[in-house]
Amino acid sequence: MTHLLIQFLVILGVSVVAGVVGSLLGLGGGIIVIPALTLFLHVDFRVAAGASIVSIIATSSGSAATYVRDRLSNIRVGMFLEILTSVGAVCGALLAGLVKGSALFVVFALVLLYSLYPMGRKIIAELGLRRCPDESADLEAPQPDRLALKLGFSGSYFDPAKGRQVEYNLRRVGAGSAIMYMAGLASGLLGIGSGVFKVLALDTAMGMPMKASTATSNFMIGVTAAASAGIYFLRGDIDPLIAAPVALGVLGGSFVGTRLLSRLAGESIRIVFFIVLAFISIQMLLRGFNISI
Amino acid sequence: MKEDRTRATELIVSAVLRSGVLISAAVILMGLVLFVVHGAGGGEGGIAATLAFPRSIAQVWAGLRSLDPISVITLGLLLVILTPVSRVAVSIFAFAMERDWRYVAITALVLTVLVASFLVGEVGG
Repeated sequence: MTHLLIQFLVILGVSVVAGVVGSLLGLGGGIIVIPALTLFLHVDFRVAAGASIVSIIATSSGSAATYVRDRLSNIRVGMFLEILTSVGAVCGALLAGLVKGSALFVVFALVLLYSLYPMGRKIIAELGLRRCPDESADLEAPQPDRLALKLGFSGSYFDPAKGRQVEYNLRRVGAGSAIMYMAGLASGLLGIGSGVFKVLALDTAMGMPMKASTATSNFMIGVTAAASAGIYFLRGDIDPLIAAPVALGVLGGSFVGTRLLSRLAGESIRIVFFIVLAFISIQMLLRGFNISI
Repeated sequence: MKEDRTRATELIVSAVLRSGVLISAAVILMGLVLFVVHGAGGGEGGIAATLAFPRSIAQVWAGLRSLDPISVITLGLLLVILTPVSRVAVSIFAFAMERDWRYVAITALVLTVLVASFLVGEVGG
């Protein structure tokens, strides 16, 4: 009993830290908590992914509630693209049951490295080592494509910094949908929110402003994750004594993290975490190959 | 008028998400308190090694009737999973009230995928 209690408290503590770090970096808790569980606490990858997927649903539902109330999430765009992410997530979750555990470590490492890429670029740009091309320089208003118009994919939100309503149209629904399917696949396969891919689809492919993209991505993460969580549960990969502390810990941690954000998100802290996460992704990669060799 | 209805949709969706998280977190906490008070029902040693946990809705239901702590915790976790599902279900009605039939169909399709995922898991999992 005491053994269980200690194990429980360790997992809870690790998850709180993962939640804080994940929200400070804007990466989400899942991508932090999975390496922590698998590398340090030796939890099976699928069980870690099962715990993570529940925690992701909890945190994204909590933050999406606020985004939707504040009219930052585009509900229609999110709803339509959830068709793609949920089908992708079902495929990913089924695939996770078929492939070897070592393969999951390798794919996870690659996804984590990819997620770190924009962060690395930003750090380099802010250190003034190299000028980063301004991605918002695309001043020419994107031409909405026919499908986007048909689906009513326009929107607006209030930007307090600019003091006005920002209106936008979307384009390239096909490309965005394809990326969304991949985002769902990654989410179901690895038990992560894959917000980085969702933002890529909305912001880069479809031309949605960054703030709306982040909020809409968050809105979609819960449904995407729910599509694979059922499969994890029925496969027996959601161990309640691991998933419960992870869900509560990450939820609490990211609640604290978002409130610390303005005070703590200094440059040096982000650089430290960047290095740590790059190191962790290499660890995950090695773990994947060690097992398979 | 349409704008009002859209606003109503947003507020309903927001309320469903928020209450879902609060209720499920409360149930998980309740299960954990039961677990600490009553114990796991007989298990020293590693979590995965000794403790059997429910893997189907029927097993959770059976456990709940005897107030088994692990089943209460699992119920809380399932409520977390059901939060976005109920958000989608509620959205169908909200879009219907806006008379936006295209989005009623799109949302119904998403709900179908979510329900199907549980059935697929039952068979293939």
